[in-house]
Amino acid sequence: MQTTKTQSLILSDAVSRRQHIGTWLGKSLLFLITSLSTLAVFFIFYFILKDAIPFFKLEGFKEFFTSTRWYPSGEPAEFGALPIFIGTGLVTLGAVVVAVPLGIAAAVCLSDLLPFKVRQIVKPVIEILAAIPSVAYGFFALVVFAPLLQNHGGAILSAGAWMILGPILALLVVVLGDFMIGKLKSKWSGALVFPLLGGLAFFLIYRLSSQLSGIEINSGTNALNVAVILGIMALPTIVSVSEDALQSAGRELREGSYALGATRAETILKTVIPASISGILTAVILGVMRAIGETMVVWMASGNAARMPEPWYNVMQPIRTLTATIAGDMGEADHVTGSSRFHVLFAMAFCLLAFSFIMNLASELIVKRSRKKLGK
Amino acid sequence: MRLETRKLLDQSFSGIGLIAILVMAAALVLILAPILWRGSKAFVFKGTIEHRRVMLEQFQRGNADRFTAEMEQAKAARTPVYEMMAAFEAELKAMDRTDRRDYKAPYREVEKALEVLLGPRPGERTPVLLRQQYGQTRWDRTQIKLHEALFSEEWDYSNPDAMGVLVETPRVNQFEGTQLEPLFHYLETRLVEIMRPKRTFYWQFITDTSKDSHIFGGIWPEVLGTLYLTLGAMLFAIPMGVIAAIYLCEYAKEGRMVSFLRICISTLAGVPSIVFGLFGLAFFLNTIQVSESKSVLAGSLTLSLLILPTIIRSSEEAILAVPRAYKEAALGLGAGRWHTVLTVILPAALPGILTGIVISMGRAAGETAPIIFTAAVSVGAPLKIWETLSQPSPALPWNIYNLCTEHEAVDEIRHVQYGMVFTLVAIVLLLNLFAILMRARITKKLRG
Repeated sequence: MQTTKTQSLILSDAVSRRQHIGTWLGKSLLFLITSLSTLAVFFIFYFILKDAIPFFKLEGFKEFFTSTRWYPSGEPAEFGALPIFIGTGLVTLGAVVVAVPLGIAAAVCLSDLLPFKVRQIVKPVIEILAAIPSVAYGFFALVVFAPLLQNHGGAILSAGAWMILGPILALLVVVLGDFMIGKLKSKWSGALVFPLLGGLAFFLIYRLSSQLSGIEINSGTNALNVAVILGIMALPTIVSVSEDALQSAGRELREGSYALGATRAETILKTVIPASISGILTAVILGVMRAIGETMVVWMASGNAARMPEPWYNVMQPIRTLTATIAGDMGEADHVTGSSRFHVLFAMAFCLLAFSFIMNLASELIVKRSRKKLGK
Repeated sequence: MRLETRKLLDQSFSGIGLIAILVMAAALVLILAPILWRGSKAFVFKGTIEHRRVMLEQFQRGNADRFTAEMEQAKAARTPVYEMMAAFEAELKAMDRTDRRDYKAPYREVEKALEVLLGPRPGERTPVLLRQQYGQTRWDRTQIKLHEALFSEEWDYSNPDAMGVLVETPRVNQFEGTQLEPLFHYLETRLVEIMRPKRTFYWQFITDTSKDSHIFGGIWPEVLGTLYLTLGAMLFAIPMGVIAAIYLCEYAKEGRMVSFLRICISTLAGVPSIVFGLFGLAFFLNTIQVSESKSVLAGSLTLSLLILPTIIRSSEEAILAVPRAYKEAALGLGAGRWHTVLTVILPAALPGILTGIVISMGRAAGETAPIIFTAAVSVGAPLKIWETLSQPSPALPWNIYNLCTEHEAVDEIRHVQYGMVFTLVAIVLLLNLFAILMRARITKKLRG
């Protein structure tokens, strides 16, 4: 005879309790490990703030945010970080100007225009662009791009003017021409208006670019160089996030628009983009965060001059950013732990941290609100 | 609007989109091309006999007999150079004082240029600095140095409105009618025999240590440091990240707590990398003191915090992509939750999780800012594995920065800089390629 051990399906109280406790313990262990990342965020805020506060206690707020004199090792030391804030803002703005139009156009193209197969090829390009280490970008900016800017600055600028203004003015010519033809209503107006406007636009760009090509850039390591490279670095983020947003706008919306007789461009501009504007905004915010938090490129290629550009929007001059100041000065300041010179770097880090935190919250809020609006 | 205009606008709209994509692709090519092309020259280049001498004497590599034979030929080609110099020195002694003074400074320059080109003169004391003990090791550098030996350079600032103009005068003119005059022609025409360039494949560039701060040798300490830092970061980040993802996907109930956790994780993802570096310095080094000075351990810990959000997110995505039916089937068969996670969900999600891990490995390998204050030094020997707990190490990203901004001979070692960038980019791109291929396989599998 076979003897089989039978186990009752109903567990005894003790076993059940033990299993219960085991599950609870395991779950709390998992929770504990998960909350470590939360703890890390708090620790980061705490430890940065802890070393930032002594600076404000010692030197106050006014000089830091309003003075333009940055002489941390002088006697007496001066900590006017305004030029550094301006420099940070300038390169970030420049990066946005480069990356946002390009990124959104590329995202639209990826989500609505390109066939699936081509998209499969383009996507890795974006991924590789995102994967290249920032120090490699910095190396490129310093060793390849900066000498180029310095020696052929005018030519590069005028080529850039053609690339940016060409498409914009072409679109303007088409729209304006259409408007004027509508007004004139004569048979020959079409043949007249377009060459006229086109010629005018061409002349405009030509004048501008010939003026730009006369510019000589004294130093290739300047805000323009950094802004372009940071723009390229922010592109992948902007493209992939806004492409996701455009995709999630849905097929029905597009088909509805087509059914009403809209062209593809009209569908995208008037229906798809407004519907996914929150996602695109998030993309822009993430791009800004990537640009503002970047260290190596600005440290290597921005020239690191802590003085105001003259005038303040002049991107051809060397500037200095918050991240580069922290990276560059800590090596010397580390020996004087406890002095204002050491703590001012933490104050800067705290400004960066606070800014990125606010940006992050803003993007979360945008996503949440749009979700509510769409009723998802 | 007229229909034609609308069509035209539609087309130009598509055109702009395409241009944007093309610009992006062009940017990628423009950035990668110089790095890959000039970077490859750190490995494949025309090495002179001096390169083989460095290899033999510093790295005990190569055939000593064959080298000696070759060196004899090179020496034979070099002898006339030194003979001409000796003859000129004799001539110089016989000159009267004013002439001697005129020739002395230019001759010193020629002597120096030749020392740079060919190494120290035979019979002289061996210089202390390693870089002065050998001539030019690369043919491309040799030609640049030859040019410096043949022409004297001066900057002309006579026009105060313009930038200085470089004026090059052949040195041969300075020594016209002396014993030294034929030297320049001899050098120019017989350089190949003097230096004996040969196509060299120096793959040991990756595995050789550097000699005399990267003037000779390879980049092994940096590569090893990067490996240690990356693997160390993964060691901390993978368990934490994957467990957090499991908790968030399988255990946590959506509510205040979880949305708070998520906000924290996205905040962590948004913290600028340099702030991580400062935090690493303030917390790991100054507060809990994981080591006395900068160390690989502190750097790894800092890096692991940096990549934690990426790993959590990608693991979450991978776990959520596992079809619900798998889980339900497992639960239906009576498996407990933990059992289900371990035996069904994790294996199914593993390729996706691995993809995320591989991508964040690339990120950890390339990050510089977090390790500046916590782990990186400019010069150092390769570390033993237990030394990583207490000692700093050179690392590729930091040394790229250091070599192209702070090194005393930035222009002389461009090839090393490019080689380092090449190696780093290659590591990161290979990791990403692996991830892209793996993901393509997963998508195929999920589609059936």
